[in-house]
This record gives sequence, structure tokens and C-alpha cells, in this order.
Amino acid sequence: MSELLLDTSIRAWVFLPIVIISFLFGILRHYVSILISSTKNIELHQVQDSQLLIRSRFLRENGKYIPKQSFLMRRHYLNNEETGYLKAGSRRPAQAPNPMSDPSMMTDMLKGNLTNVLPMILIGGWINWTFSGFVCTKVPFPLTLRFKPMLQRGIELMSLDASWVSSASWYFLNVFGLRSIYTLVLGENNAADQTRMMQDQMSGAAMAMPPDPKQAFKAEWEALEISNHQWALKNIENDFIGEKSNNQEVTPTS
Amino acid sequence: MEGNSYTLTSAMRSNMILLDYCKTSMSALSGFTAGVIGLYGAYGFIFYFLCAFLVWAMILIRMGPNYKKYFHKRITIFTNGLGSGLFTYVLFWTFLYGMVNVY
Repeated sequence: MSELLLDTSIRAWVFLPIVIISFLFGILRHYVSILISSTKNIELHQVQDSQLLIRSRFLRENGKYIPKQSFLMRRHYLNNEETGYLKAGSRRPAQAPNPMSDPSMMTDMLKGNLTNVLPMILIGGWINWTFSGFVCTKVPFPLTLRFKPMLQRGIELMSLDASWVSSASWYFLNVFGLRSIYTLVLGENNAADQTRMMQDQMSGAAMAMPPDPKQAFKAEWEALEISNHQWALKNIENDFIGEKSNNQEVTPTS
Repeated sequence: MEGNSYTLTSAMRSNMILLDYCKTSMSALSGFTAGVIGLYGAYGFIFYFLCAFLVWAMILIRMGPNYKKYFHKRITIFTNGLGSGLFTYVLFWTFLYGMVNVY
């Protein structure tokens, strides 16, 4: 099947160890980041803001089950021009937190770098150094020559078929392929996922900023302002009583 | 608006997470299988989509006609996590293929 014969000790001492190392290393990262992470203390008004937003969304979605007057009262409380919570909130000056002035944020960033970037460089470099220059395995599908620099990092052989994988590239394949396995093993929102961290860093500092409450308030205010009350339980008494005796006269509600 | 549905977002999300677990297991196991029996080239990818379809059909049969209690649309059960599952599948496929058929 394969035109290239590989030594079986490569399998035992390069191929398998890379899989095991990259897997166990992900687990280790997860627990270390749990160990050194600090609990975020949330400001009281932030909690209030988010709860109010949720409440407003519930009112929009399920407002049809309460009487019209109740709906209007709630909407007035949230939306009226002078004292409505959403209106007042969107008028409130936005204070963008400055990461340089806040020392706790600085340590958070430092810890994030400590658990994410540093070990990745270390382990990647170590794998590159220890297991360099091996042809590890072969991907079970044909590939074009364009993939050669991606899959055969560390091996400069012109004549080698593109579907052979070098050891360094096998490590990167593992890093990308194991992320959903970590979700399975460690649960949702684990810290073992290196690739997610890389995405975070690529998208820049915009991710780290909390979303501006002003914008959210404004959007929610608009959405609530245009939502009308449609009383869903209009003929509910007739439905309950009339269903048994005279079905024809009762108009269906929905 | 679709009917008088009252959906709980957190419950919906936990359903999605469970579905994700299901998909991951499926892609890992099907990758193992494809590697051991030594599928090559397009057959392997066909096998993956076949397995995904099979799991989809199994979930649909398990849920029966009242699938609306658990998910919004039927097709999302199939498409959700199909791409990331492919990564896992290719990894395990390559792994087992290398272990069994290359050396």
C-alpha cells in the first residue's frame, strides 16, 4: 500500500508520544489555569443592567400572556422618556475601562499569557527540537503540492509525496483536531483549547472589552418601543367552557 | 413567529451542548473505524458524511414526531458541528490509518 517503508520504532517513539503529549498537555493546561485563575468580581450595576435587559427581552417575547395594562405598565417602567431604565441607561456616560490603570486586569492578562502563549511556544519548540526530521505518517487522502510546506515542516524533500506528514506538522494536526475531544473530556468552556486563544489574540483587544451597555440599552429600547401587545388569551374562557358543549361557535384563538 | 412556542434559551443551549458531545463521539469513533479498515481518499469522506447522516437519522427516530420540544429545526441537528467534527474525524482517521496501514 505504501511505497515508503517506515521503521516501526518511529511509530513507538515518535508517532504515539506526540499524540499522548499533546493530549495530556491540554489536560494539564486546563487544570493549571483553574489553579491560578482569579475570580472575577462583578460590579453591582453590571448585574443590574444585564438582568434588566433579560427582563425586557422576556417582556417582548412573552408579553402576550399578560393583560394589556400590565404589559403597558412594564413597558412604561422600562421605556418612558424621563425615568425609564433603558432610557436613563442609554443616557449614562459610558466609561470604558482602561486596562493599564486597573491592576487586577493587568495580572489577569499576565496570567492569560502565562498559561496560553508561553507553554505553547515552549511545547511547540520542544516538539520541534526533539522530534524533528521524522516522516511520521501518511494522510489517507491524496493532496496537492501546495500542502507540502504545511504538512512537511522540517523536511525539505522535493521528491516526497505531499501526503506524507512530518512530526512537527503531526503535532499541529493534533492541536487542531483534539479541541472537540477536550470539550468531551473536560466539559464546556475548558481552558485547554489553544486554538480558541489564538483566535482571541488575532481579533485583538476588542474581544476583551465588555460590550458597551449604552448600545445594548439603545437597541433594547428600540425593540421594546416597536413591540405591540397582542393578547394571546383572548377567548380563553370560551375555549375552556365551550369546547365540550358547542364547538362550532367558538373561534379558535391561534 | 412559529406557533405559541415558549422556549427556554438555557435548556436549548444545553441540548445543543449534548448534541455536540454526541457529534464528537461520532466523529472520533467513525474516524477510528475508517482508519482501521483502511479507507483511502474520497471513500473516507463519504464514510464520514454517511456516519453523520446515520447519527442524525438515529436522533430523529429517537425523538419521534415531537422534535420541536427539543430543537428548532431538524436540519440543524445535522449541520451543527459538521465542520469541526470533520477535523476530529480526519485526525483519528490519519492516526489509525498510520498505525495500522502505513507501518
